[in-house]
Amino acid sequence: MSAFWFYVFTLVFFLFDYFILAMGLNIQYGETGILNFAYIGFVALGAYVTGASSLPASAGTGQQYIMGWGLPFPLNLLLGGVAASLLAVFVALIAMRRLRTDYLAVVLISFSLVFYDITNNYVPLFNGADGLYNVPEPLAGIFKLTTNSFVPFFAIVTGLIALIMWWAMSRITKSPLGRTFRAIRDDEGVAAALGKGVFRYQLTSMLIGSFYAGIGGGLLVQFGGSFNTTSWLPAETFVVFAVIIVGGVGNNVGLLVGALLVETLLIHLPAFLPDIPGHPGLIEYIDTIVVGVLLWVMLWFRPQGVVPERIRKTPLALLQGLKSDRSTNEEVPAMSISDGAGVNEEGGVRD
Amino acid sequence: MTSGQNEAANTGSGAASALSCQEIKKSFQGVAAVTGATFDVPRGMITALIGPNGAGKTTVVNILSGMMKSDSGAMQIGATDVTNWESYKIARLGLMRTFQLSRELGGLTVLENLLVAPKHQAGESLLNIFLRPRLAKREELENTKRALEVLRTYGLYDLRDNRASELSGGQKKLLEIARAVMAQPQVLLLDEPMAGVNPALIERIGGYILDLKKQGVTVLMVEHNLNVVEKICDHVIVLAEGRTLATGRLSELRANPEVVQAYLGEVINASTTR
Repeated sequence: MSAFWFYVFTLVFFLFDYFILAMGLNIQYGETGILNFAYIGFVALGAYVTGASSLPASAGTGQQYIMGWGLPFPLNLLLGGVAASLLAVFVALIAMRRLRTDYLAVVLISFSLVFYDITNNYVPLFNGADGLYNVPEPLAGIFKLTTNSFVPFFAIVTGLIALIMWWAMSRITKSPLGRTFRAIRDDEGVAAALGKGVFRYQLTSMLIGSFYAGIGGGLLVQFGGSFNTTSWLPAETFVVFAVIIVGGVGNNVGLLVGALLVETLLIHLPAFLPDIPGHPGLIEYIDTIVVGVLLWVMLWFRPQGVVPERIRKTPLALLQGLKSDRSTNEEVPAMSISDGAGVNEEGGVRD
Repeated sequence: MTSGQNEAANTGSGAASALSCQEIKKSFQGVAAVTGATFDVPRGMITALIGPNGAGKTTVVNILSGMMKSDSGAMQIGATDVTNWESYKIARLGLMRTFQLSRELGGLTVLENLLVAPKHQAGESLLNIFLRPRLAKREELENTKRALEVLRTYGLYDLRDNRASELSGGQKKLLEIARAVMAQPQVLLLDEPMAGVNPALIERIGGYILDLKKQGVTVLMVEHNLNVVEKICDHVIVLAEGRTLATGRLSELRANPEVVQAYLGEVINASTTR
C-alpha cells in the first residue's frame, strides 16, 4: 500500500474516532449542558483499560500495569467503555450533586489534573509517564494483517463502530430521554419543577457520554499500539470541544463535520506536511493557533456551528389524523372582566 | 361573573386543604423575606395570594414549590408533609408552578415544552429506549396527541414547531400554563400569570384558570390585579412584610382596616367613590 493511502486511512481513523468522542461530549455538553472539562480523562481511562486488559500479564514485558488479562477485541474495548462510565458515576456522585454549571466545570478541570498527575506518577497503575506500548493490534492474527494492512482495516472497523454508535445515539437524542436532557440544558430549575430528578438525568448523560469517551480512547490505543500521558494532556479536552462547537452543538451530523474540519483537516493533516526548513515543529504550533482562532471566530460569528441543531417538528402523520376536528376548539374561554364591576382595563394595583 | 360571591372558602385544615403551610420563615443574608406565612389553600378553589411588593409572595411560592428551602416552618400537600422536599418530588406529588418571569425551555419547540411535562415517561429510561421501544413509542404518541389538544385549547397550536424562545411575552405566559396543565396537576401555583399581558389576554388567561377549576384543579395565584381577583378567586390570602395578614374573601378583606392600610388602600377608595 502506498504511503498516500496509509495517510488517508490514518485520517479516516481519526475522523471516525473523533466523531465518537464528539458524540460523547455532545450528549453531556450539547444536550444536557454539563461543561465536562475533564472529558479527556475519561478518554484516557478508556484507552488505558482497553490497552492494559488486552496486554499479557505485566511480568516480563518491561512495563508495569494493572490487569494484563490478554482480553481479545472487542471485550477489551467494551471494558474500556464501561470503566470510563464507572469513573463518570464516581465523579458525578462527588461533584455533581451540589455543584452546577461553572462551579462544576472548575471542579472537573481540577479532577482532570489530579487524574493526570496520579497516572503520570504512579507507575504500577499504567506504567507512569512511559505509558503502555506494544498493545496488541486487534484481530491482526485472525485476518493475518501486516503493519500496513492493519491501518485501513482498523480505520474501517472504527467506521463501523462509529456507525453503530451513531445509530444508538440518534435513538437516545430523539427519545423523550434526549428531550429531558435538553430541558435540563435549557433550564434545570424548570425541569425540576416539572418533576424531573435533574441529578439522575445528569448522571445518565455522564454515563452515556463517558462510555463513548472510553470507546473512543480504546480505539485510539489499539490503533497506535501505545498510549502515554502526553496523549491526553488536560488541554486536549478543548480539541473535542472545538470539534463540537465548530461542527454544531446538538447535531450528530454536525459532529461528523466538526471531526472532519477540526480533527482531521486541521490537526492531523498538517502532521503529514513536510517541516518548514529551519523551523522543525513550527507547523504544529501554527496548527494550535489556527484551531484556537477558528474556535474564536465560530463562537463570534456562528455560535450554532456549521450544521446547527435542527428543530424537531411534529410528526406529520399525527397532524393529519388530528386536523379534522380543528374547528371544535377554536373558541377561547374568557372570564369577561369588562362587563363586571371592574376597576379599569388595566386592573387594580399595578406596580 | 359570580365565583367571587361563591360560598366562603373553607379554610379549615386537613383534607379540605390541597396545600397548607405553617409559620414559614425565610431570610436572605439577614434580611427577613418571609417572617411567618401560615395559610391553607382550599381544595378545588382558586385562591389569590396578594400583598405589596416585597411582601414575600414569590419567596413563598418558591418555598411551596420546593425551589427554595425555608429556614423553619412546615408545609403539606394534602395530608403529606413535604417540608423542604426537593422540587421534583413536590412536582411528582402533583404540584406544578409557573414563574413570574416566564421560563420557557427556549431551545425546545413549543410542542416539546409540553412533551417534557408528563411524569414517568417510558421513553425517559435508557433501558426502555433499546429494550422496549414500542412501549416508549406508543406512550410518546399518546402524549403528543394530548399535547396538541392542550396547545389548541391555549391557542398555541399553530406555533407548535417554533422554538419557545421565539414566542412573544404573552405567548410565553400561555405556554407556561399549558406546560403545567400538561403535567396534570392537582395544585397549580401561578406566579403573576397576568403580569405584563394585554387586557384581552388577561381575560383569556382568566378563562383558562376558571376552566382548570372546573376540572378540579386547585389554584393558588399571586396576583396584583384586584379586578381579576374579584372575578375569579374564591379565597384571598394577604401577605404583608413576610407574614400572613389576613385570609378570607375579598369582600371581607375590604372591611379589614389592616389590609386596607397595607395593600388595598387606594384601590378601595377608588372603587367606593365610583
